[in-house]
Amino acid sequence: MHGWAGKILDIDLTHHAIQTRPLDMEKARLFLGGRGLGARLLWDLVGPEVEPLSENNALIFATGPLTASGAQTSNRFTVSTKSPLTGTVLDANSGGWWGMQFKRTGYDVLIVRGKASQPAQIQITPDGVKVEDASDLWGKTVSETTAALGQDNNRRNVLCIGPAGENLSRISAIMNDGTRSLARGGPGAVMGSKNLKAITVAGGEKNVSEDRDLFRFMLYETGKLIKASPLTSQALPEFGTAAVMNVVNAIGALPARNFQASQFEEAEQVSGEWLTDHLLVRNQACWACPIACTRVTRTEKAEGEGPEYETAWAFGPQCGIDRLDVIAEANYLCNDLGLDTISAGSTIGCAMEMAERGLIDSPLRFGRADLLHDTLRDIAYRRGLGDELAEGSYRFAAAHGAPELSMSAKRLELPAYDPRGMQGQGLLYATSNRGGCHMRGNMLGPEVLALPRLIDRFATQGKAGIVAIHQHSAAVIDSLVLCKFTNLAVAEEYFARLLTAVTGHPYKADDLMRIGERVWNLERLYNLREGFTCADDTLPARLLNEPSPAGPSAGFTVRLGPMLEEYYEFRGWDTNGVPTPAKLKMLELDSLVAAKEASQ
Amino acid sequence: MIDQRLYEEFRDIGRDIYVAGLTSSHGGNMSVRAGSRVIIKRRGAQLGRLKIEDFIETKLNAKDSGITRASTELVVHRTIYQETSALAVIHCHPRTAIALSLSRDEIIPIDVEGSYLLHKVPVVAAEFASGSQDMADLVADTLREYKILMLRGHGCFSTGQTLDEAFHWISCLEEACDIILETHLLGEERKEFRKHSESYSKW
Repeated sequence: MHGWAGKILDIDLTHHAIQTRPLDMEKARLFLGGRGLGARLLWDLVGPEVEPLSENNALIFATGPLTASGAQTSNRFTVSTKSPLTGTVLDANSGGWWGMQFKRTGYDVLIVRGKASQPAQIQITPDGVKVEDASDLWGKTVSETTAALGQDNNRRNVLCIGPAGENLSRISAIMNDGTRSLARGGPGAVMGSKNLKAITVAGGEKNVSEDRDLFRFMLYETGKLIKASPLTSQALPEFGTAAVMNVVNAIGALPARNFQASQFEEAEQVSGEWLTDHLLVRNQACWACPIACTRVTRTEKAEGEGPEYETAWAFGPQCGIDRLDVIAEANYLCNDLGLDTISAGSTIGCAMEMAERGLIDSPLRFGRADLLHDTLRDIAYRRGLGDELAEGSYRFAAAHGAPELSMSAKRLELPAYDPRGMQGQGLLYATSNRGGCHMRGNMLGPEVLALPRLIDRFATQGKAGIVAIHQHSAAVIDSLVLCKFTNLAVAEEYFARLLTAVTGHPYKADDLMRIGERVWNLERLYNLREGFTCADDTLPARLLNEPSPAGPSAGFTVRLGPMLEEYYEFRGWDTNGVPTPAKLKMLELDSLVAAKEASQ
Repeated sequence: MIDQRLYEEFRDIGRDIYVAGLTSSHGGNMSVRAGSRVIIKRRGAQLGRLKIEDFIETKLNAKDSGITRASTELVVHRTIYQETSALAVIHCHPRTAIALSLSRDEIIPIDVEGSYLLHKVPVVAAEFASGSQDMADLVADTLREYKILMLRGHGCFSTGQTLDEAFHWISCLEEACDIILETHLLGEERKEFRKHSESYSKW
């Protein structure tokens, strides 16, 4: 294969049907793979009448044209589905080995539909595709399941859910290779709703570049930049993603105690530096990754992977906890139970504030590190208060009459940046198609790290275009599929030339940006079809109305209104946030809307 | 209306371009895209002495009265924004780069910084090298693949997410061209030190 294998594996668990279908290369041209292709297939497969946890929802595992090519970080893959947490289009992506190995089975995409009558597992190997009974695996943790199915990083890779997915927690993850996660938006619950415990892959096909000379040149040029960037060559390998903890805290953009503050007084103790000094055993890399940001850590009680920045924040500052060993162990637990660490930590932080305000009867309080691990187990097994928390912070807070205390956008818990100190990040959260998320075009780059250039983090004029461009860039990286950390050192002009080398088709940098814009607009159309409106492009009232109380961002709220107006204009959407016919025509999406109108 | 934060960025970069000798007193222009509008320097304003009233706000996709006062190159700026992902555009007249553009179809830096950041800068030529739609289309199409280009005998168009970024490419290009020129004047044999440098022409 040269980029695309040209095949989709389609499995209907209800009817025990296994089909191989050709990949529509026109769709591949328009959407590449991964997130983009996943969204396009989801558009056809899962309409607004489908409940996310019903058997009519689909799980679409998709690789991209660069997956398994050997390009830096070409190990990743995505899962697309309708989110049980947000009700929006969802994709989550993950690294490790599984994506590379799946591509080597000779398929670009795996679609799983329907519901098995009893626990099932899928095996895709050179011996064929099988759906087998998994009753003996149901109830097992992620590590137990992964070991039982014979995980071998270079030859055989396992993807599965843990107890949280089995119990349909809306904040549950799908895990691959034991410790890597497709976490946000609750895809684990969709897999659980299908009675699907695991997917094991082993393959032998190779993704060989069409133009090997150009590929070698681009590997060299890309590698040169990754080595030259202090972020990708020093900060991430040495301190992991938590390298930014002290940086974000210093500028007053580190949310603390459910976003009641924008700085955490004990940030140093949950930072990347602290982690390296006290817990780090070694760093580790995904397949074909020269960065190696993964942390293998050890506490007095256990050893495991993590925490990354977002996790250290979610169980740390968000919950008022300054014990990095307890946070690391919470991360190990989430990996084994199959939970999204951001949503789990943020939901617990929300519950802590509600308990302190007397809105719920619970011993949870900010700083109660001793309750953290049991609360996570209760969420995964839906015990006691955990049964409510498993629904995510929005449903939980709303059930107790205080939805405004959920720090979420479109019901997805916000990550570790207080947008009162990063105005563009606020616009990003509000407009993110899968809900409040930093992985849809993180403004940490331009607003804090000067990537590609430092911009005024408190300014709003001209900010919308930068947010939109970063959203397009993120969408195309998720469709190639590569790790976004390469984008800390490498720009789209490099990705375009890598794609040209692998596929043999000429791509310009702006071709990729146009694809990113197409993906973003398709996701927008999907959400509009689901009934979302411009009223959903918003943030928690706290961030819009309560000024940051102290520190370098003191006095600021998010000035969302003018940025949102400029954003719709920039995108060529009308004042209600609906893409105009001219924009859809330009993006070659007009036929989708025409087909929808014809069907009505 | 341009806000104070954005004006200060225009003012400082305009001053730097002029002081660095990258344009004549009244030459060159700059713009940024804000939503569906373009904020661009007015025609005739000196890049090195920009006042807040020297800026025109005009529509990106339709003509309005702003065009009566906007830079002659507005059509190029608009077309670049319509056809590429650029959020900022600078046009100016770096003299060594212009000199090289008169004899070359592409400028390939030989120094580390220029090689690292630019690899190759294309040179394009248009019959009417100022303010024409044909020229605008040619420039915009080239900038879909490159972040900066040279118009033969005229000057550069540089793009970025910010004015700062677009200025960086210009500064880097002119430095690279100075080095090419001075190396040529030295007349000594050049020792190649860059792995894969033979592939730069394919960039």
